[in-house]
Amino acid sequence: MKEKEVMETQRERHSLLGFFSATGPVISKYPALGALIAFIAIFVTFSIIAPKFLTLRSLTGIFTLVSELGIIAIGEAFLMISGEFDLSVSGVYALGGALFVVLANSLPSFLAFIIVLGVAAFIGYVNGMITLRGGIPSFITTLGTMMVTRGILLAATGGFSLAYKGDTFVPMILSKLIGHGLRPSHIWFIALALLFSFVLTRTRYGNWVFAAGGNKEIARTMGVNTDSVKLRNFMISAVMAALAGCMAISRFKFANVAFGKGYELEAIASVVIGGTSLFGGYGTILGAALGAVMVGMIRIGLVLAGAPGYLYQAFVGAVLITAAIINLRIRRTST
Amino acid sequence: MQDSPLVKMVNISKRFGKVQALKDLSTTVQHNEILGLLGDNGAGKSTLIKVLSGVFPPDEGELYFEGKRINFSSPRQARRMGIETVHQTLSLIEIMSISRNFFLGREPITWRRPIAILDRSKMDKECKKAVGGIGIKVRSPDESVSVLSGGERQAVSIGRAMYFGAKLLLLDEPLASLSVREIRVVHEQIKRANESGASVIYITHNVYHVYPIAHRFVILDRGIKIAEIDKKDMKPEAIIEVIASGKMVKE
Repeated sequence: MKEKEVMETQRERHSLLGFFSATGPVISKYPALGALIAFIAIFVTFSIIAPKFLTLRSLTGIFTLVSELGIIAIGEAFLMISGEFDLSVSGVYALGGALFVVLANSLPSFLAFIIVLGVAAFIGYVNGMITLRGGIPSFITTLGTMMVTRGILLAATGGFSLAYKGDTFVPMILSKLIGHGLRPSHIWFIALALLFSFVLTRTRYGNWVFAAGGNKEIARTMGVNTDSVKLRNFMISAVMAALAGCMAISRFKFANVAFGKGYELEAIASVVIGGTSLFGGYGTILGAALGAVMVGMIRIGLVLAGAPGYLYQAFVGAVLITAAIINLRIRRTST
Repeated sequence: MQDSPLVKMVNISKRFGKVQALKDLSTTVQHNEILGLLGDNGAGKSTLIKVLSGVFPPDEGELYFEGKRINFSSPRQARRMGIETVHQTLSLIEIMSISRNFFLGREPITWRRPIAILDRSKMDKECKKAVGGIGIKVRSPDESVSVLSGGERQAVSIGRAMYFGAKLLLLDEPLASLSVREIRVVHEQIKRANESGASVIYITHNVYHVYPIAHRFVILDRGIKIAEIDKKDMKPEAIIEVIASGKMVKE
């Protein structure tokens, strides 16, 4: 009787269902694992269907795109885990970039860069104050500030592009071509992903970020100042978006009102593909970074595969929904 | 110190607009005592707990803890003095791991600057020890709180309070929506906390939940203390009569 039971459980462990329930705890310990599996699947698929995909040139090209989107996604993930959204990242990205051009054309570029990050932090602060003091959902607040930042940009430039005529210091440290398509932005992206991942999982502040998104009331009862945590995360999200904006400017050497249109949704898609809960309290930075890599691979991979570029959005949408379903399943089996 | 009661409340009053939530309430909690705080809904039990746990100050009256006059400015301060509250739903964050919950707001730190780094090995080790001591079997303190039953969650909350050296435990309806077996788990945990030296104020409107473990009862009705009863003097049925009628009737 006993032996039969043991055999029964062993068989179950070898079945597909058993495999998933056995990997459940592993995935809950390494929540970015699901994103990693999806990443490998997409990578292998494009390597097969797109002949030029697996070349250093196209991979570094993808990574340039990914680094800028990914830096936005890291800030977005941090904020979303603490239970808030930021739709204004694309507006801050474009406005920050344009402001950088204007300032760097008359000031040292490094000073211009610092001022831009400061202005971004202020926009994040405003997002946070309106949301937290006004009791307005951050979805609405940041939808508003996205429109405001985009509107200011459009009104200030009249829709014309601005050429960058500043010094080369900041463009060099952010995005100068090193060779083989490699750029400093790749290193910044990886370093920031590791840094924020460390802060989230290994520091006291990270614990408060999870708690603020997991349950604000309980976190407060336990003495965590959730408003202060969220406010800081709004500021982080905006600063990261402006940093990505300055990177894009360093690469293109001009600012344009159309820059980063739709990036807010691509950033959120990256975060969700990476396994972060839309309701907060759960998620990983490395997953969000991988999510951004996937979005970038799809964008370039489809073009290299000869598919019409218009298909890109449809493809990302399909991956987003699939990822959301898989992530939900993983979380259900692991808890 | 042992001569004075652990908690002494003198003429505590609190009103919210037109509602007199507490009126001239005076009572004490002795060292090492389990006090059942009883009363129907709206009797002022929760208000009293919030005054004691530092959520808001009383409008009038004096509060003494370990013989010293106190005015709490925040729950954090009350917690630091050893007054821990365990709410029925407001204690553990379901989606977070047990050890992260256990130390939330009081995380052990290995490195302070520039950013405080968690001592994760200490968190896991201490949490496993404390939770294991309660008799809850978890595969690892990394598991999320959602794997725990309602009773286990209450037991973990109480275990956490004791780990952090609570002298007074405020339990707000800890048995609401628990199964019979889980009630026993929580009762064991409360008794254990009491045996290790803590006093307990146990709030409920269900006498049967607190009667087996309490030493004494205070009954509130519309903000006023209507009775203070030793367990040996009254059967639970008689206590229910007092709560329901709002009057102290001598047997």
